[in-house]
Amino acid sequence: MISLIGFSALCLSTIFSCIVLIPKSILQIEIKYFLFFIRSSTFLVCISFLSLIFAYVTSDFSNFNVFQNSHSEKPLIYKITGAWGNHEGSILLWVCMISIYGFIYSLLSKSLDSFKILVLKIQSGLFIIFCFFIIFTSNPFLVNSVMVEEGLGLNPILQDPALAIHPPMLYLGYVGFSLVFSLAIASLLETTNDRMWLLETQKWSIISWGFLTAGIALGSYWAYYELGWGGWWFWDPVENISLMPWIAGLALVHSLLMIKGEQAIQRWIVFLSILCFSLSILGTFLVRSGILTSVHSFAADASRGLFILLIFFVTTGFGFLVFLIKSPTKKNDLHLLLINKTSALIINNILMMIAVLTILIGTIYPIIIEVLTNTRISVGGPYFNSTVLPILLPGFLLMSIAPVLSWQTNKIKKFRVYVICFLILSLVITIQSYLTIFNPWGFVGLLLGSWIIVGSLISVILRYKFSLTSKYLKSINSFTAHIGVGVMIIGVTYSSVYQKEFNFNMKIGDEVNIENQLLKFDEIKIVDQENYQSLRVVFSLTNNNEIISYIDPGKNYYPVSKMITTEAGIYHAWLKDIYITLGSETDNQWFIKVYINPLVSFIWIGVFIMIFASIVAVIKK
Amino acid sequence: MSLRFQRLILILLTLIILGAAILLIMFNTKQNIVFFYTPSELLENNIDSNIKLRIGGYVKKLSFVEKSLNKYEFKITDNSNDLLIFYEGMLPDLFREEQGIVIEGFIDRNKNIVASKVYAKHDENYMPASIKKELEKNNQWKKDYK
Repeated sequence: MISLIGFSALCLSTIFSCIVLIPKSILQIEIKYFLFFIRSSTFLVCISFLSLIFAYVTSDFSNFNVFQNSHSEKPLIYKITGAWGNHEGSILLWVCMISIYGFIYSLLSKSLDSFKILVLKIQSGLFIIFCFFIIFTSNPFLVNSVMVEEGLGLNPILQDPALAIHPPMLYLGYVGFSLVFSLAIASLLETTNDRMWLLETQKWSIISWGFLTAGIALGSYWAYYELGWGGWWFWDPVENISLMPWIAGLALVHSLLMIKGEQAIQRWIVFLSILCFSLSILGTFLVRSGILTSVHSFAADASRGLFILLIFFVTTGFGFLVFLIKSPTKKNDLHLLLINKTSALIINNILMMIAVLTILIGTIYPIIIEVLTNTRISVGGPYFNSTVLPILLPGFLLMSIAPVLSWQTNKIKKFRVYVICFLILSLVITIQSYLTIFNPWGFVGLLLGSWIIVGSLISVILRYKFSLTSKYLKSINSFTAHIGVGVMIIGVTYSSVYQKEFNFNMKIGDEVNIENQLLKFDEIKIVDQENYQSLRVVFSLTNNNEIISYIDPGKNYYPVSKMITTEAGIYHAWLKDIYITLGSETDNQWFIKVYINPLVSFIWIGVFIMIFASIVAVIKK
Repeated sequence: MSLRFQRLILILLTLIILGAAILLIMFNTKQNIVFFYTPSELLENNIDSNIKLRIGGYVKKLSFVEKSLNKYEFKITDNSNDLLIFYEGMLPDLFREEQGIVIEGFIDRNKNIVASKVYAKHDENYMPASIKKELEKNNQWKKDYK
């Protein structure tokens, strides 16, 4: 019953969106009714999604999708999140978000009515394409042909709070670029001198980018504690494809800054806007079609993949075609100097585009090779580390001073202060790395990261008078964001370069010494939880006979799917994480893997600062 | 510096960065790739034992042996050929017989594999065989589940 409601609501919503697309020459719709159709379409697709959630919450196993991915004994939260823990449901969520973005745009936009209508029409076009995708290839409302009492359950590895909110966040980011795409196309089709669309693009691209950042970070945090591999980023294809729209979005956000200096290159902005959304769809295609061999595997289906490829070619082709035919003609001379803000922003964009290209090549290279030579290869972490990082280095170096550059001249105020500070900093870090273990990457990363932080702080102190107002926060916002990046760079460098790994065989009562701290195997606890049985090995971490913390890595056994998951035990401290995973057991001897991950917390702090900065950037004064 | 000269430097800088990037990509696509084989392909070709490779397949039924704590032996199969794998380390949770896995390692003289890493796919789907059959009968089983 509820599936029927959901499916009809989805179809009706698609029809409403189709009505909106009828050209003016055939049917003249007043803006009042136009908005009515758009908004009721959103309303209906939300009902559709809510009815799917309802089916999950009530464990309605007459729905095939619920039967496949849910179980009546699952905690309520995972029943709800199970709705988007699978392909069909997640695409419904995606469609729902396209519509909601259009809805919010229709409420907030201050553009002229004609422009607004155009944007909403393009947005509805995208909405309809994806609705067809759902209806024809991935319908979450299929009726189950087998009568069953119980569902199959959600993969236990996905039953996790971070992963529950990871897909919605990521999708809010990906789908946000659909609105940016619509804005860009609309600006091409309707040439106005109105600069409103640039400001709107700026706002929406920052919002999308912020969500994408949060989504990627959540996924990576999940991988860190759930997979038990000791790391948080593996350059897996699935990870790379989320990084591409992220970097392209970042380039877009930066190129939009040129509005302030009256230097905006419309053509380039439109290009980037189209690119961001194209990369988002390309990512979905590569993940869902199963073309790439990934460790994080999703259910793959060739027919689905083909359909997404079609969507990709239609939207991207349409976008770039319009771009070629109706390319903005307005030209303004760029004020390029060595080095002022305009040229810095252009270098930034070039670097980011090269980085995107490098990642793209590395990700699809295996496909090309397989088609050409019929051998299969995989491109792993080493490729990306040794290409993407060196390419981004000059950008990082530029980043610390870029916000203080001027639009008109190539002089920097109080240049000498910066030079002196940089020299002092380099000296300090050289001595520091001489006294500890020297590692070239560690040295470069630390120097860059701390220079970005110090450089930004100097600028903030020298140029702005401190006050606790939102205006102050807004004016130093670009520095805040860059400090976030600096903090993250330090975290990334340290956690990867100086990670240490230990292996032990231990039984109850054993003690080992790790970096002057005593790790003791205390006891084994077995507890029955709501839908799983947990086994925890409790370790106590002591320093000078003082107990600092208990760490409890273990395993969960999920009887529904007969699966075991490893739960890493992590002791978080500001300066290092102690990360323990539990292996197998023979004769009461347990195999234990201990990682010391220095400064991992810096990565998450850096991400928080970046997201904070994007929130500040969006909020009105 | 004249305006023109400054622009020239900028353009040159861009070209240098671009060139460096291309060189890096070309160099690394030669160096940092790992070849991927199925057991049959591996047995057909003569592979140098110094090259790190990846092998994909399923864990063969009844082939899994635990030699001692964290030392394992099992066979990986593509339903036509098998390879014997030696592995020392922690196995992923999803590792079990008949599960799709990817291993990374080196081949030895007897065409056995000494694995350094074992990955199990964490798919969103899981399905008991009995229900799978039922579904296949009703044509509701279209997807390529493993």
